[in-house]
Amino acid sequence: MTVKKGNASVRGASVKMSRRKFMGTAASVAAAGTITGFPNIVQAADPLRTIGLGVSIINEIQGKAAKDLGFKIRGQALGYGALFGKTLNQNDQYDVSECYYDMFDVMIPSGVFQAIDTHRIKDWDKISDLTKTGMLTPGSSIGQGDAPVRQIWVDKDGKRAKGPSRYISGLPGWHNADSLGYNPDDTGRPIESWAELFHSDFKGRVALLNIPQVGAMDAAMGMEALGLIKFGDKGDMTRKEIDVLIDFLIVKKKEGHFRAFWETFGQSVNLMVSGEVALQSMWSPAVTAVNAEGVPCIYASPKEGMRGWHGAITISKKATGKRLDQAYEYLNWWISGWAGAFVARQGYYMSTPANTKKHLPADEWDFWYEGKPAAKELPDPFGSPLINKGQVRDGGSYEQRFKKIAVWNSVMTENDYLVKRWTEFLTAN
Amino acid sequence: MSDASKTHHTGLIGSQPKPVDGLQRAKIAHTEEGFPTAWLITPATIWLILFLVIPLISIIIFSFWENTPGGLIPAFSFEFYGEYFYTEGFFDPDADRFLLPSVFIRTLGSTIYFTLVTMFLCLIVGYPIAYFLAMQVQAFKWQLALFLLCMVPFWTSYLIRAVAWLPMLGRRGLINQALLGMGIVDKPVSFLFYSEFGYTMALVQIYVVLGIGPIFFSLAKIDKAILEAALDMGATPFQIFREIIGPMSLPGVAIGMIFIFVVIMGEFATAVVVYGGKTSTAGTVILNYYGIANYPFAAVNALMLMLAMVIGIVVILRIVDIRKEL
Amino acid sequence: MARWTPERWRKLRVKSGFSIYYVFFLMFIYGPMFAMFILSFQGRRGGTSFPMRGFSLYWWEKLLEPSTVGDMQGAMGRSIILALMVMVITGLFATMLAMAFRKKFWFSNVLFYTILTGLMVPGVLLSLGMAILMRQLGIPAAWYTSGLAVHVIWALPFSYLVMMAVFNRFDSRLEEAARDMGASEWTVFKEITLPLITPGVVAAGLFGFTLSYDEFARTTLLSGADNTLPLDINASMTQRIRPTLFALGTASTIFSLLMISVFLGIYTILYRRSR
Repeated sequence: MTVKKGNASVRGASVKMSRRKFMGTAASVAAAGTITGFPNIVQAADPLRTIGLGVSIINEIQGKAAKDLGFKIRGQALGYGALFGKTLNQNDQYDVSECYYDMFDVMIPSGVFQAIDTHRIKDWDKISDLTKTGMLTPGSSIGQGDAPVRQIWVDKDGKRAKGPSRYISGLPGWHNADSLGYNPDDTGRPIESWAELFHSDFKGRVALLNIPQVGAMDAAMGMEALGLIKFGDKGDMTRKEIDVLIDFLIVKKKEGHFRAFWETFGQSVNLMVSGEVALQSMWSPAVTAVNAEGVPCIYASPKEGMRGWHGAITISKKATGKRLDQAYEYLNWWISGWAGAFVARQGYYMSTPANTKKHLPADEWDFWYEGKPAAKELPDPFGSPLINKGQVRDGGSYEQRFKKIAVWNSVMTENDYLVKRWTEFLTAN
Repeated sequence: MSDASKTHHTGLIGSQPKPVDGLQRAKIAHTEEGFPTAWLITPATIWLILFLVIPLISIIIFSFWENTPGGLIPAFSFEFYGEYFYTEGFFDPDADRFLLPSVFIRTLGSTIYFTLVTMFLCLIVGYPIAYFLAMQVQAFKWQLALFLLCMVPFWTSYLIRAVAWLPMLGRRGLINQALLGMGIVDKPVSFLFYSEFGYTMALVQIYVVLGIGPIFFSLAKIDKAILEAALDMGATPFQIFREIIGPMSLPGVAIGMIFIFVVIMGEFATAVVVYGGKTSTAGTVILNYYGIANYPFAAVNALMLMLAMVIGIVVILRIVDIRKEL
Repeated sequence: MARWTPERWRKLRVKSGFSIYYVFFLMFIYGPMFAMFILSFQGRRGGTSFPMRGFSLYWWEKLLEPSTVGDMQGAMGRSIILALMVMVITGLFATMLAMAFRKKFWFSNVLFYTILTGLMVPGVLLSLGMAILMRQLGIPAAWYTSGLAVHVIWALPFSYLVMMAVFNRFDSRLEEAARDMGASEWTVFKEITLPLITPGVVAAGLFGFTLSYDEFARTTLLSGADNTLPLDINASMTQRIRPTLFALGTASTIFSLLMISVFLGIYTILYRRSR
């Protein structure tokens, strides 16, 4: 009896199974036509896999690279958290990771990358001194925090090396300097110091970046400018300094000083466009985007200097053989000029300015790198008009900006403590 | 059977002959019947073990590891549990943190507070909708259609809807424009957005549907003939609700509240988008420590959050034992 | 035909009261979507918040073109296929589990709480735990393997509890009668149980679809080399957010409404035929 029942069930199940199997097959056949990546096994030549933020993983860029290099490249754009997590935990899932030097305090000890041999980088000489000596031009200040020059040098095995070496942790890529963005109609005066971030005139109309390690640095710039405290190293604060900073922020928050804390590029643009805030910590291309939507917005160049960040293209330790060769080709391509011109039109700078210049028409070069007024209407990377004739890039020329970086994005030694106190700041009411 | 289905419309759980009497007997008598239990639970159990239990055990193991600048080190350390509970100055009467719970406990506390408020609002807002669908709409077809209409916002990615809140509720948003246009206010109001008010409203807006579903299911099963009979016998609507509808919908309410409770306890995105990140939830804390690769402490936070959730669910099940109601 | 007795009037008043409340409720939960609809027709130089800078179909046209960051169309296809797979598996598992739970078995309590644990584990950590284990075992992550695995874990408790509600007070006398007449277990299930619970199974599956389609945290480390839609949208936010996103949202809303209408139509036809 029981056996019979069992049989019946099994028979029923097998009928069901085969029907489902059929549907599965149908779905995958349909998928193969339209959706990439479903039938993973069928790929003839596996593409080079690269991951990064939407800043560098743009279909035009990887598409052009694939065309120029003659092999397939599959770019996967991720949000910041996903990029960090994937780079750190899944280096078997990518060949190239387009990440940032401020992540390297975590990434280098974990050994997820392989050392990049500068002898295999064709344009190594053309890479500016910003990452090699820390000084774009002689006499510039290196700046506090995780300046690229403090993160770039490694030995053959990818361990940190003191001073210049044949091997590097990541190839210098796109970079920029951030400061404050403001709507001049709302502030009623030009903003020339980080101290304005806490001015009571803007109570309830200020936003701050909500990535603890970066937001804290912006706030620290403001507090230092107010003369309330002098930090030893804003990129590596002590517990005591963190306490002073957060206690101050909590008082400000309780006063209702902050309208919001933003986390993504798009959020910061919308905060400004919709008139929610008058003044906030902001990224330069976001200011350009606000302007493009017809809302006045100025990117401040505070007298205390800006906060810099620098992209780094890295190769996974798991990439070997042909994959590794392709990864090197891709790295070489990135700094060869075309991509530099592409990201320039978004407001980012490239580590090989000389190569970028070759690919950028003179009037665009003058606007983006030299800080001169636009001679005519200039396009964004996709050809739509972005910059009006006569407009001047806020913050001056490339040299002016990077001569005086006050601090670089960093992961501090006391990062855990910072995040804990930052949580307290956010919870305070 | 055919008689039964003629007298009732096909409810959401299918037509059923008059229930209740003899049910218990039938159940006990037939525990030997039906498909073999092992056969029914094996696939799901294997799935759960592989993809839930094993990763969960690894999370628990993680929570005892040490986090050093060189990376994670396997260990059996209670350091992070201490970190979670203990604040410097807790036992020091002179410190300003004297007897103040740690920031993590306070964050968990405020998360629970928002969750309970939202649960209560969801119940008040959602129950009448479930009641309307189950009791006032006659045809099953329309019940389903009107219920699905409530689900539609869910099928637009949360991340897209999140972007749309600002132009809805912000200073230049639709609501402010309407208020200005009607002359109700003379300058834009800012309490709608980036505020506790806006945050709570948004949570209700997103999650109320999770509660409506189960309540609707349990209400839909109530035999309308019983209600008619009660009315004929002169019962007031209030009495009918208290004696029949209320108790019979309790399992649905319990299930709906479990959904809402658990999901809002784990919520982190809405606080950023609608409250402008001006509060921190237990979920944000986990995400922040995950973001700086301090996985052991993220795990400790996660386990404490889960503990709070288990307690909440046990309390709800104490009030209404949905399994006993079966 | 009925006369307009006071009782009928009362019922009508109650019903219209509830209907008005329902309409207000819909307006409430559709809230931000109104802004989304309007802004999807934003002018070419406008953005995702007010003011409107003209009026155009530009962003709707952009919807059909390849996106600049990521691959929106492909990601959407993957998300739908994934959600459908989750729908089928959770629907099946939830039904089987709920049927098993009609009887007591020795570790039913443990299993009950294990299923509910899927609701409680924070998504990022489940994703991390899985990712690290898979790395140790050398299994690559992909949205249709590891992604599917954790999506089912997430959706199963919802579908399962819905099915529990369905079997709640389910009358087993019909099944009993069929068995007495000598029907096999399979026949009993196919002919009696299934027709009774079908709407519930559909609802449970629908929960699975919805939850999977929108899931972000659990997919971050487990989707492999291709993004699902939420991952793709998240990535696109590291750039300017364009109104294309709103066109996509509006399009999927319209599509959902259409699907509901189609579903209603099919249901009506089938219902008529079964009569």
